[in-house]
Amino acid sequence: MHQPSLIAYRTALSANMLYFCRFLRNKGFNLGPSEEADALNAISLVPIGEEKFFRQSLKTVLAKNNYQFNAFNDLYTEFWDQYAKAVNSKLKEDQPEKNTLSDAQKKEAQFNALKDWLNLSPSTEEISLHSYSAIEVLTKKNFQDLSDDEMLLMMSLLKRLARKIAHQKSRLKKRTKKRRIVDIKRTIRDNMRYGGEMQRLVYSKRKDRRLKLVLLCDVSKSMDLYSRFFVHLIYAFQNAYDKIETFVFSTALHKVSEMLNNHEFEKAFDTISERVPHWSGGTTIGSCLLDFNLNYGHSHLDKKTIVFILSDGWDTGDPLTMKAAMKFIYKKSRKVIWLNPLAGNPEFSPDAMGMKTALPYIDTLVSAHNLDSLKQAIHASVKRRDIMKNQFYS
Amino acid sequence: MMENAELDKIRKLLLEQDYITEDTIAMAVFLALKLEKPLLVEGPAGVGKTEIAKVIAKALDSELIRLQCYEGLDSTHALYEWNYQRQLLYLKMQENESKSIKDKEKDIFSARFLLERPVLKAITSKKKSVLLIDEIDRADEEFESFLLEVLSDWQVTIPEIGTISAVHRPYVILTGNRTRELSEALRRRCLYLWIDYPDFEKELAIVNAKVPGIDAKLGKQICLFMQELRKLKLEKTPGISETIDWAKTLSILHLSHLDKEVVERTLGVVLKDWQDMRKTTDALSELLDKTGVVSRIG
Repeated sequence: MHQPSLIAYRTALSANMLYFCRFLRNKGFNLGPSEEADALNAISLVPIGEEKFFRQSLKTVLAKNNYQFNAFNDLYTEFWDQYAKAVNSKLKEDQPEKNTLSDAQKKEAQFNALKDWLNLSPSTEEISLHSYSAIEVLTKKNFQDLSDDEMLLMMSLLKRLARKIAHQKSRLKKRTKKRRIVDIKRTIRDNMRYGGEMQRLVYSKRKDRRLKLVLLCDVSKSMDLYSRFFVHLIYAFQNAYDKIETFVFSTALHKVSEMLNNHEFEKAFDTISERVPHWSGGTTIGSCLLDFNLNYGHSHLDKKTIVFILSDGWDTGDPLTMKAAMKFIYKKSRKVIWLNPLAGNPEFSPDAMGMKTALPYIDTLVSAHNLDSLKQAIHASVKRRDIMKNQFYS
Repeated sequence: MMENAELDKIRKLLLEQDYITEDTIAMAVFLALKLEKPLLVEGPAGVGKTEIAKVIAKALDSELIRLQCYEGLDSTHALYEWNYQRQLLYLKMQENESKSIKDKEKDIFSARFLLERPVLKAITSKKKSVLLIDEIDRADEEFESFLLEVLSDWQVTIPEIGTISAVHRPYVILTGNRTRELSEALRRRCLYLWIDYPDFEKELAIVNAKVPGIDAKLGKQICLFMQELRKLKLEKTPGISETIDWAKTLSILHLSHLDKEVVERTLGVVLKDWQDMRKTTDALSELLDKTGVVSRIG
């Protein structure tokens, strides 16, 4: 069948552009009127008739991040294909009945077909997802039960959360900046060379206490459901802390900080699981932690470092190894926070051998099965050790 | 067609500066110039993000003003600062003159005591300039919001002088490595371009443009090798700049082809991480096979 060219349908270009933008918005693009105006401006600048330029210009204007940039071509094709189909089918339906349709009626039919298609697309679900009550539910929902769509929303919630902490932290920084005081001794000494004329002020400032974060993430089979989520968590943490080192372990320990730093997070997970053997294998937490202590302990742990361990505590190794390793980490670090997804269960008690052994050397044990508990974990990381000690098991 | 000619012109201009482009890059630059919107360029390290700004500045024959971002960068480093020492000295010199305090104040808060930092410089520049805000993701979020203000209004308020509005809106290029997620608000103000590692043809074209005297066979082998090397999943995947460095090095050594010994000796130009070095050396024979280099036995 002869496929009419897309351009022929671009009768009312600006209206169609708005439909396209709406379509993209449903796909998660963050577009407002100003972007729509930009898009219209852009296509007025590029040569007409050459579809490639049309697409490229829209891509430049409408995509706002790497993910959207790469997905754009497919979405573009999808839209115009569907568009052509919607218009065609409507035309075919109408034709046998009334061949005498006026142009205006035809146009309206096209318009309606398009509207139907735009409104009946999966967007209905997505819209309901974005309501507030959904967020409320989500923060309580176990990660295990999340659908893909919910996962996406969860990511954005988590990102916002991390950003919030980042802001909290930056406020702290500002305060110390204001407390910048003139160091009189050094000011006088430095200004001696100007004949005692105060020309240069020397300030002293409280030294920034920078928190560092070490993340030890269990990626064994038993943690499979959660580890994907934790990668996102790690990415979110990057906003809030100055220095993060990330390790994953199951039967062996791997440093993955660089992989996370150099890749966008959708890719990071795949890269890591590809490069780290035993991903989703069994666990020997104790020996992995010991390995960490031996190779990285001295350079990565100090009293400014918060250690997050993400694991369910199912250790198949020797409890004594575990004990020694945990003791070392506890002593060397500022705080140890253990995130255990199983702890969300009301019947949970730290029965797993590894968990039991580790317990005395943990400042806070937090369940990490839903967003609320993660919030708790993040807040716990901001507080100091002595206050936090044994709060969970008092 | 008029517009088409302009798009071509941009491509040609970029090409003249030895910047090999793809259509997407040319289009992004074209639209950024035409719509006068900032262009946010992201991509892995060493693929020529910063180079775009330099090339545009050269092609348009305008000044390139660069703001290198880092953690803790604040508006005094980006916008302006009063030259405090100079003001003091000036006051001291004026001590015995019978000027009113008001005049003195007017004097010391005048343009000549103002240290212009990149953003202010770009705004007050007499000609349209290119403002390169490099590695924006390294700056703090506060700086990002500060930048938003400037990028939307194109004016800067200095309490002692007043509001300075842009004479010419500069062309703004922002680059980032995605070490931190940029705010939605900033993204929305910008056009977006993602540059990835080049394919073989593009990389070869770049090498030939940047290292004119290079042996044709050597150039080809280098690019093939780099393409294979990037598949190795290294800690720090080498970018185009490493390819060019390497090509230059081998060209200076007057080599006409790669062999195992040469690669081993010069690998430090390409790889900057010892683990990567080790990994690559281990896989070298295989890599060279894939590249089509017959490795000498023994």
